[in-house]
Amino acid sequence: MSQTWFQHTFSRKRFQTRNQATAMAILGIAVLLILGSLYLSQVASFAITNREIEDLISRRDQLKRQNEQLIGEIASYRTVPRLFARAVEIGFRPATNSEIDYLLIEGYDSKGSKARADAFSPEPLEAAAPIYEETFSGWLEQQFTLLTEQLESFGK
Amino acid sequence: MQGLSPQQSTIQARLPFVAIFLILLAAYLVINLANFQFFPRSVRQELEKIGSSVTNTTLRVPAERGLIFDRDGEPLAFNIVQYRLGVSPDLVADPETLSDQVSNILGIDEFEVYRKTISDNVWEFVAGPISAEQGQAIAALDEISLGLEEIPKRFYPQETLAAHVIGIVLDEGLVGSLGVEGAYNETLSGRVLDLSISNVPFDLPKDRPAEQRGKDIVLTLDRDVQFWVESELKAAVEEYRAYRGTVIVMDPGTGDVLALANYPTMDPNRFLEIEDPALLENPAVQGVYEPGSIMQALTVASALETGTITPYWTYNDDGHLEIGGKDIWNRFFQAHGTADAATILIRSLNSGAATVGLEMGTEKFYSMMRAFGFGQATGVGLFAEERGDLKIPGDTNWNESYLGYNSFGQDVKVTPMQLITAFSAIANDGIMRQPRIVRQVIGEEGIEEARPTTVRRVVSTETAAIVRDLMIRVVREGALGAFMRGYTIAGKPGTAWISTAVGEEVGSHSSIVSFIGFLPAHDPQAVVLVKLDRPNEYYGYKVTPHIFKRIAERLVILLEIPDDEVRSRLNAAKTNASADGS
Repeated sequence: MSQTWFQHTFSRKRFQTRNQATAMAILGIAVLLILGSLYLSQVASFAITNREIEDLISRRDQLKRQNEQLIGEIASYRTVPRLFARAVEIGFRPATNSEIDYLLIEGYDSKGSKARADAFSPEPLEAAAPIYEETFSGWLEQQFTLLTEQLESFGK
Repeated sequence: MQGLSPQQSTIQARLPFVAIFLILLAAYLVINLANFQFFPRSVRQELEKIGSSVTNTTLRVPAERGLIFDRDGEPLAFNIVQYRLGVSPDLVADPETLSDQVSNILGIDEFEVYRKTISDNVWEFVAGPISAEQGQAIAALDEISLGLEEIPKRFYPQETLAAHVIGIVLDEGLVGSLGVEGAYNETLSGRVLDLSISNVPFDLPKDRPAEQRGKDIVLTLDRDVQFWVESELKAAVEEYRAYRGTVIVMDPGTGDVLALANYPTMDPNRFLEIEDPALLENPAVQGVYEPGSIMQALTVASALETGTITPYWTYNDDGHLEIGGKDIWNRFFQAHGTADAATILIRSLNSGAATVGLEMGTEKFYSMMRAFGFGQATGVGLFAEERGDLKIPGDTNWNESYLGYNSFGQDVKVTPMQLITAFSAIANDGIMRQPRIVRQVIGEEGIEEARPTTVRRVVSTETAAIVRDLMIRVVREGALGAFMRGYTIAGKPGTAWISTAVGEEVGSHSSIVSFIGFLPAHDPQAVVLVKLDRPNEYYGYKVTPHIFKRIAERLVILLEIPDDEVRSRLNAAKTNASADGS
C-alpha cells in the first residue's frame, strides 16, 4: 500500500470494458423500461379513472337535481287545494263532526298530527365506508392486464 | 512523502481544506433545505398558494339551501335548477341547424338565435332563465358551442299556502327574506365555498363537501289546518268586504303555531310580480293595531291575579267614565247598573274595564301587561317581528287617560301573535309557552329538536280557571255565533276603533274586529285568533264569532278533538283501563 487511493485513481489511464458490466447496464436499462412502462400505464389509468369519477360526479349531481325537480313536481300535485278539488270531483265532501265516531284504541294518541309528526324523523345519511379487498397478486394481475391493454391500444 | 511529485504533494496538502470546504457547503445546503422545509406557516402558505395557482382553478360553489317542511313532512320550500344558455359563435359549425334546434326547444325566434350564432363576439347570451327540462334538452344536443349555466331557484310547491310564514328568497336563491326564510337565513343558506379544482389529471377530483349544505327546517304548521284556515279567512274577508284579515291557530300547551294565515296573500314563486308592497308584510307579526275590547279579558285576569277584584266584585255602571280629561263610553252609550266582571266581558263594557284598570293602578296594571308580553317581541321565529307599543308611566305622551283606554285595548298597539300568546297563557292554566314556528332543524350532524319552553307563569291556575269560566259565559250569553254543539268554547269578541291624528275614524269600514277563543275550554288544544281589518260591519261580536265557529268545526276534525261527551267517556275508559292495569 505504498500508493494512496487517489494515486491509484489518478494512475488509471482509461476505463476497461468488461462483458459483465455491459450485461448489467443492459439489464438496468430493461428494468428501467419496465418500471417506466408500469408507471406510465399506472398514471394513464389513474387519469382515465379520475375522468370517469368526474363524469360520475357530474351525472350524480344531474340526477340529484332531476330527483329534486320530480319531488317538487310531486309536491305540487299533492297540494291540498288540488287534492280537495279532485276529491270533490269524484264525489267526496268534507265530513262534519256529527258524522265522526271515536273509538278508544289502547296505545293510540288521539292527537293524530302529533303522532304523525313524531313518526317523521328523517335519519341523516351516513357515508358508506369504502371496502378494500385487494390482494397483492390481484393487484399484479390487474396491472399486467392494464399494461397489456395499454400496449394493445398503442399498437392500434 | 517520498516519491511524490511536487504537484501531488501540493494536492495532498490542500485536500483536507477542500474536504472541509465541501463538508461545510453540504452542511449549509442541508440547513437551508431544512429551513425551507420548516418555513414559517405564513411563508409556506404563500408559497403553496403560488404553486397551487399554477395547477389549480378556484370554483365558487353556491351552497344548496335547506328545505322547509310542515310538521308532517310535506314539502313547503324546495330547490330547483334553471339555466342560462349562451353560445360561443367561434365554435359553431352549422349555425342554421343549431339555431333551428335551439329555437325549437326554447320556443324563441329562430332568426334571433341565428344572429347570435354568427356573431363576432366570443360569447353571446341566448336565453335565460330556462327550465330544467329545456336545459336537459339543450344538453342532449351535445353541442360544444353551447354553454349552460346553472341558476339555483327556490320553488314553493304549495304556492300561496302559508306564504307569509315561509317567506321568499332573493338574489338567485341565496338570501332569504320574510318569514322563516328570512328569520332562519343563516341556518338554511349553508356556506358558499371556494372549491379548489386541480388541473392535474392525476389528482383525484374533489366532491362537493356535504357539510356546506344548509340545514332543513320542519315547521310546527299543519298543512291541512293551514289550508282550511286560509279558505275560511278568504271567504270571511270577501263576505265582509274587509281590507284584510289574519287568523292564527296555536297549541297552548306547546306554543306551536299550527296555522298562520293572512288574506290577501301572495305567491312566493311570483313575488316579483306583486304590485302592492303591503302584500309582502306579515300582519300576524308585523301589523300592529289597537286590539280593542278583546283586551278586557286580560284586564279582568290581571285584576283577579293582583287581588284587585274577586269573582264576586261588582260596581255601578252608569255607562260613562272620565279619566285624564277624556270620556269613556259603553257601546251604544248604555248603562248597566250593578255589574260584575262577567257582565263587563259579556256586554263588553268599556267603562267597566276602565274602572277595573283604575282600581288596579298603573303599577299593577302595566306590570301585568308586561307579564302578558305586550311591548316585547314574542320571538316566535318569523322575520322582522314588531314589538308593539305599550306606553307606560314616564314615557313621552303617556297620561292618565292611557290607563283607562288601555284597559279596553285602545291606545295600546299589539301584534296578533302577542295577543294569541297572552290568551294561550290563560288557556294553559296561566303558564305562557314560548310561541314557536320551527319544530326541528335537520343538519348533517343530526336533528335538533326545539323543545317547548316556558316563558313564565303569568297568572295562577285559579285565576286562569276563573277567566276561562268567564269566557265560556261570554260565548254562551254574548257571542252566540261561536257556540258549537257538543263543545265548550271559551272566547271573547273584540271591536277596536282606528285611531287617527285627530281622533277615531268614523263611517263604514272603520273598525278592526276580532275574536279569540279556545277549545275544548276545559282541555284546550287550540287557541284561535280571528281578526278582520275594516269589515263592512262595525262590531266584532256580529262578525267574528261565526268565522271562529267555522274554523273550529274544521279544527275538531283535523286535530281529532272529540266532543265533550265522547271525551268524558274516553277519559273514563282510559281511567278504568289504567286502574285495571295497575
